[in-house]
Amino acid sequence: MRISYYIYYGLVTIVETLMRMFPFPAKTGYQRVGKPDENSPVLLTCNFHLTILRLKKATKGLSYHLLVANSKGINVWCAATGDSLNNHSVISVIKTSGIEDKVNHKKIILPQLAAPGVESKVILKSVGWKILWGPVDAKDIPEFFESNFEKTDDMKQVEFRIIQRIEMAIMWIFLAAMVIMPIWGPLYKLEAAFLLGQICLIYFLALISFPIFEKIFQKEVEKKKAFFSLGNLVVFLINLIYAAIGVVLYVIIYQKDYSRILLRWCIVSFLLVLLVNMELKGSSPTYKSDSHADKLYDIEIDLEKCKGTGICVDVCPRNCYVLDTEKKKITMPRKKYCVQCGACIVQCPFDALYFMNRKGDIIKPETVRKFKLNLMGKRN
Amino acid sequence: MKILESAPYRYDKGIKILTLGKIDKAYDRLIENIKKDDKVLDIGCGTGMLSFRAVLKEAIVTGIDINPEMLEIAKKRIDEFEVKDKIEFLEMGVAEIDRFENDSFDIIMSGLCFSELSEDEITFTLNQVRRILSKDGKFLLADEIKSRSIIKRIMNWLLRIPLVIITYILTQTTSRALKNIEKRISESGLIIQSRKSNFLDNFVEMIIIKEDKK
Repeated sequence: MRISYYIYYGLVTIVETLMRMFPFPAKTGYQRVGKPDENSPVLLTCNFHLTILRLKKATKGLSYHLLVANSKGINVWCAATGDSLNNHSVISVIKTSGIEDKVNHKKIILPQLAAPGVESKVILKSVGWKILWGPVDAKDIPEFFESNFEKTDDMKQVEFRIIQRIEMAIMWIFLAAMVIMPIWGPLYKLEAAFLLGQICLIYFLALISFPIFEKIFQKEVEKKKAFFSLGNLVVFLINLIYAAIGVVLYVIIYQKDYSRILLRWCIVSFLLVLLVNMELKGSSPTYKSDSHADKLYDIEIDLEKCKGTGICVDVCPRNCYVLDTEKKKITMPRKKYCVQCGACIVQCPFDALYFMNRKGDIIKPETVRKFKLNLMGKRN
Repeated sequence: MKILESAPYRYDKGIKILTLGKIDKAYDRLIENIKKDDKVLDIGCGTGMLSFRAVLKEAIVTGIDINPEMLEIAKKRIDEFEVKDKIEFLEMGVAEIDRFENDSFDIIMSGLCFSELSEDEITFTLNQVRRILSKDGKFLLADEIKSRSIIKRIMNWLLRIPLVIITYILTQTTSRALKNIEKRISESGLIIQSRKSNFLDNFVEMIIIKEDKK
């Protein structure tokens, strides 16, 4: 039983990590975890298959009611910012799963990263359930339960940890291999194996070095310009060095007449590095992709409207906010860490927060609530 | 059809091509059941393909959908058709239709919406439909279904594969087809008055009533 569980867990993790880019919808609705009674807490999550599996693994030994909301098979954060996990999906699962007959309270714990998509005000008004924003990572849930649903700053913060970076690298490697190998393989058979090695090398090194890149990006962040910035160029050069290591290794191991092969290899390695750099920021949860228009907007505070409720402090995944308890106003000392997820704007009960870019264009809270960060929504 | 929903402005044209025009004919047939001044609810109205047909039959229509972008287009059309007092669109999911009063609609209709719902949602919606439908009211349903014949299912599957792959690549979602909908309708206490499906048995239109008059 135990061994079969681990085999299943391992296989699912491998397949779904390789295919991380694609949604894996799980069945929505009610599930019992452990032996919950009518006083047990109610948790809600998305219907991305791997999320549910990991949540259950991280919360082994705990008892709670689990509601799986329809997020179209997408993970919590992406679904919430892309309007797939929204008020409707939460209201729907609360009403149609029969949870109201199973517990004697009306409190529901949502992952904090669902905050850009689900408005606690609307849920309270339409179904009378109070939302409690849980930790970012499922692994913090046992501690969150023990501390009587209090979150530490660590539990609120999204980081790009080494294990996540490796997962991300594997996902990109799989995709790049899927695109490149069918072209390269039949043309240069033995080289194809080396090329796969090169893909792995570049992606792994690039994502493992992310903390170094992060320091470079951090310096750049004030400018927020386009793709062609000094920081991006430096990162690009570092990645080129990684690619060069791969080329040299290839030459040493696979000695051959390399005048032409070498040229071919340099070109393909260069293209690979271009590919890596294109979405390097975008594949991290701590920076926005350079192709994202949202990254050009900053969060602004309307201090007159701010009543200091501190809801933004509770939902910010980068701990940007600190509450000034004397003045009862919010401050943003860590503004440069903001990833423009929009959670604070969506949740603020007094509409005190909004997006504004350098030109002075404003995106109002109601627009963010309606379209989230969904660029297809053509918000104007 | 998720591929079309992600680009609402192409939705109508796209869906007509994909369903080879059968959707238009099916909707036209279903709409025959609507009389002047009927109160109509369109569940999952989208851009209003069914809603505006009903309005042209001089019914009073409420359209609900959870996709704000599709509703935006539907609302723009209100002005085109100049039917402002007769139609309204609300951003509302099926779980929220319990706010309507008992027996408040003469006609409830739903086109290509039930196949997007979860099983719990279908049960909930059918129960609500029975409650808010007036005594002699009709529930008109048009949707994609899974055929009961294995051969037809395989044929459908083969025909759908290219479409599913393209849809998945572009929108990373798939659309499902309804399973055992007839059984679930009768379980919820509604009665199927008529059922019409195409040759491949993958698309069904049904007229459902609350109670048998006989």
